[in-house]
Amino acid sequence: MPRAAGGGAVLAMPASRWGTTLRESVRHRVSRGARLMSRTQGGSGVAEEHAFAIDEVVLRRGDTTVLDRVSLRVPVGRCTALVGRSGSGKSTLLRVLTRLAEPDSGAVYYRGVPVAEWDVLELRRRVQLVAQNPVLLAGTAAEEVAVGAGALGEERIAELLGRVGLDAGLAGRETAALSGGEAQRLALARSLALEPDVLLLDEPTAALDSESATAIENAVRSLVRNNVTVLLVSHATEQVRRIADHAAVLVAGRVADSGPPGELTYLEETA
Amino acid sequence: MNGTELGWLEVGTSVLLVAVAVLVAAHQRLGLSKDVLLAAVRAFVQLVAVGMVLVVIFEHGGALGALGWVVLMVVIAGQVAGRRGKGVPRAKIIATVSVASGAGVALAVLLLLDVFPGRPSVIVPIGGMIVANSMQAVGLVLLRLAEHVDDSRAEIEARLSLGMDSAEAFGPHRRSAARAALLPAIDATKVVGLISLPGAMTGLILAGVDPLTAIRYQIVVMYMILGAAALAAAVAVHLGQRRLFDQAQRLRV
Repeated sequence: MPRAAGGGAVLAMPASRWGTTLRESVRHRVSRGARLMSRTQGGSGVAEEHAFAIDEVVLRRGDTTVLDRVSLRVPVGRCTALVGRSGSGKSTLLRVLTRLAEPDSGAVYYRGVPVAEWDVLELRRRVQLVAQNPVLLAGTAAEEVAVGAGALGEERIAELLGRVGLDAGLAGRETAALSGGEAQRLALARSLALEPDVLLLDEPTAALDSESATAIENAVRSLVRNNVTVLLVSHATEQVRRIADHAAVLVAGRVADSGPPGELTYLEETA
Repeated sequence: MNGTELGWLEVGTSVLLVAVAVLVAAHQRLGLSKDVLLAAVRAFVQLVAVGMVLVVIFEHGGALGALGWVVLMVVIAGQVAGRRGKGVPRAKIIATVSVASGAGVALAVLLLLDVFPGRPSVIVPIGGMIVANSMQAVGLVLLRLAEHVDDSRAEIEARLSLGMDSAEAFGPHRRSAARAALLPAIDATKVVGLISLPGAMTGLILAGVDPLTAIRYQIVVMYMILGAAALAAAVAVHLGQRRLFDQAQRLRV
């Protein structure tokens, strides 16, 4: 995982010291967090203003507490970044949102309705999870774009490829022959084919060439402009600053800090 | 049976061949002499015991006693095949139900349509062949299902994430498991008589039955094995998938 050497040294601190630091930090940031919430909630204080409202979610795997009372608001039509070291529970949180994983306790609301009350297939179509290393499922790029949405016309396929910065001429290519960056962008395109309201992106540009990374960032920005909600798991501090409106830092399964990316001191240490 | 009647004296004579095996093992210092003897004794004891049980069932058990024996075989087969499915929840129950379905339907068809008479001496060996082959198919299904979940979790979850239900998301793996389970029975059926002279036919010929009668039995045996294995595999695939996914259309394991 790419991360600054200095950050690694900070993270190697014993858990007890972390605890103290976090408590202090959280206390001093609470007021700013509340201010941010009220802005995105429009002052009404109800969860409908958010795509996702996550309350006190706990998920244990064996003896490990993967998510430790995580609370988070994901505002509609914005890009929220979730940062933290690998193993801090970011990917698991994304899986909880689409019910691929079930929390042991806590509540998750999508559009103000508990996720368990949604038809799970509809929830997953509206909320597209793009995995960190997406597996391509079809023979050709065109079939791949249509694998979830069903039959799509040539024009629509070309348009979707264009939105992730891929050439329409790629449509006939064998998916097995694509580069990692092309595969990642194709996976995003097959999700966009479903016209989701929310995109959950798990490290979408990790280990990608800069052209692919830029194409994905551009696609994300354009989606957010069109009122699509994006929750982005990322290690790349610069990327988070470029495209996220809001960031939350997960440390050992807990939200240690949250706010506008520019104000988060934890960003450097964890990314 | 008017063929070569094999008596206990002849069995005793065949012990000579065990002695050959022991001598070979000793001469080559394989360290296996004791194992050879033990295996020979075990085979003797097990077969004599089973023979005596079968005598009792054939003479006093009637069709019901024979079916009871088949049920016992199904239970044992369910345990054996279920052990293959580590990683599939409730694999042993799935295996038992699947073997029972395949064997039950095949046996019912054969007996109710009068292909075979409902005598204990028919039900027990026919049932045994059906159960053994269903067990093999079900064991392969469960093994493959568990492997697919291990190896293809990312692929399965990619399909689920695109809004497919579990049946659709698991479809390719379900079909692959069913294919793998049926290939042995299909291959055996293809080459029967050419490469292998199967046990049922060999036994009948040894017992003095005319070869044309023996092959008629063998044809029925092959067809019933195909049918029973296919049905057992289909049930195992269906139940296995249902146990692998929960109501929220996600992998349970």
